[in-house]
Amino acid sequence: MRWLACELHTHTLHSDGKQTLRELADGAAKLGFECIALTDHNTMSGLADKDAVERETGLVILPGMEWTTFHGHMVTIGASEFADWRLAEPGNLREGTAAVRRRGGLAGLAHPFRIGSPACTGCFWEFEIRDWSDLDYIEVWSTTFAAIKEDNRRAFELWTSRLNAGDRIAATSGRDWHEQKETDDPLSVTYLGLADESAPLQEEALRALREGRVAVTIGPLLTLTVVEEGDNGAVYALGSEVPLASGAGARQPLKACADLRASVREGLWELHPQSGRLVLTSNKGDLLELSVHLAEGDSRHSFPFDREGLLWIRAELWGVVRGVHARIAFTNAIYFERGDGR
Amino acid sequence: MSIDLLIDRTGSLSPDDSKTHLRFPFRLDRECANLHIEFDYSPKLLEDEERARELLDAAFELYVEPARRAAARANAERYLPLANLVTVSVDDPNRYRGACHRQDPMQRLHLSAVEASPGLLPGRIEEGEWTLTLSVHAIVTESCSYRLKAWATGEDNE
Ligand SMILES: [Zn+2]
Ligand SMILES: [Zn+2]
Repeated sequence: MRWLACELHTHTLHSDGKQTLRELADGAAKLGFECIALTDHNTMSGLADKDAVERETGLVILPGMEWTTFHGHMVTIGASEFADWRLAEPGNLREGTAAVRRRGGLAGLAHPFRIGSPACTGCFWEFEIRDWSDLDYIEVWSTTFAAIKEDNRRAFELWTSRLNAGDRIAATSGRDWHEQKETDDPLSVTYLGLADESAPLQEEALRALREGRVAVTIGPLLTLTVVEEGDNGAVYALGSEVPLASGAGARQPLKACADLRASVREGLWELHPQSGRLVLTSNKGDLLELSVHLAEGDSRHSFPFDREGLLWIRAELWGVVRGVHARIAFTNAIYFERGDGR
Repeated sequence: MSIDLLIDRTGSLSPDDSKTHLRFPFRLDRECANLHIEFDYSPKLLEDEERARELLDAAFELYVEPARRAAARANAERYLPLANLVTVSVDDPNRYRGACHRQDPMQRLHLSAVEASPGLLPGRIEEGEWTLTLSVHAIVTESCSYRLKAWATGEDNE
């Protein structure tokens, strides 16, 4: 699987950004991104230069728009045409997300706990969500040095609570990038797992986000698979569901394989050498953890585990960043089919 | 050169108008080369800092967990001065022509077949029903006056 380094929340002069699409793309390429989503506020006019900028920079540019409503900001990615954000009311979000999906797009909560009006108009998520399957993802890490921010902690907890309730929803990062300004802060990267490398990148990137093949980090790429023991044991990727029984009908022992790749975006991120904590966590809390050396090549770590009572698992990497104990990376979830037919 | 004045409206907004859209439909009787829009609102900033801190306190009540409110209040400075925000979007007889979501309280916008102001899409300035929408994201001052003006110029074959 190829993991595409993405920045999924950006703005240009077409809304309140202070950069052209070309300047944004150049800046992104310099930071090792291979793909950006342009999510200007309430307009898609900035995409007029998309093809030219893609050609000139080699970057993949996903079309998008941030629904900048009075009741919340919603990032949408991949829609071929405009869906009307002005119709959004606290109680009718489902119609909006359905309109985005009909146009081939995906919808996510943007920075859901950022302080709202009048500090930041519409920034706090106040839309009623009756059915979480109406939404595709939650931007749990917003802006730079995201892991230590209070609003992101709440967003991350929201995501975990939805997984615990049995919902299946992806989690991403987004810088909400408005201008080319140097920063020493750690930058988040959302990696999208391309299952079919021969398909057009844009389509595959969207499919990865829709299906939850997503890993987020400020440095090393951390991914996770669940593998059935034995010869020809099936392998389940991020976002997929481990069925109750394998093809043969019997329940095979499972192991979780976490891959840690420090070789990604080489030279573009820095963590001081240290022992980090690699944790396998779930709806039942942390299952297993082990100490791993950070910033040292690529490594694979396998944990046998018992699926009893599990709805989902994910991997997380913890360590010290700029003197603060923080989450360095996390994967999206792998889900388990349940006996009660859910 | 002929000029068709399409909209020239002034009005006053209050905090109660926050989170509403004001729609200004107009009819364009003939296809034109250019559509011009001028939109101004004033004041932009809430100068009364005491009032601003009251409004922020109310926002922290709503949006910050109780244990973190004192810290939010101590850092209220970063949100000052508070500002009014009203944005413009444009619909032609057939489709959405974009929005100009930015803080600028004086917008001079232009659309034609070949170019348009940032946020808007170039395209024909067709005959038919157009709508300008003012989206009142927040009014923090006691009142805020605005002027919205739109006019078309030029024949379509110019
Ligand atoms: Zn936003
Ligand atoms: Zn944004």
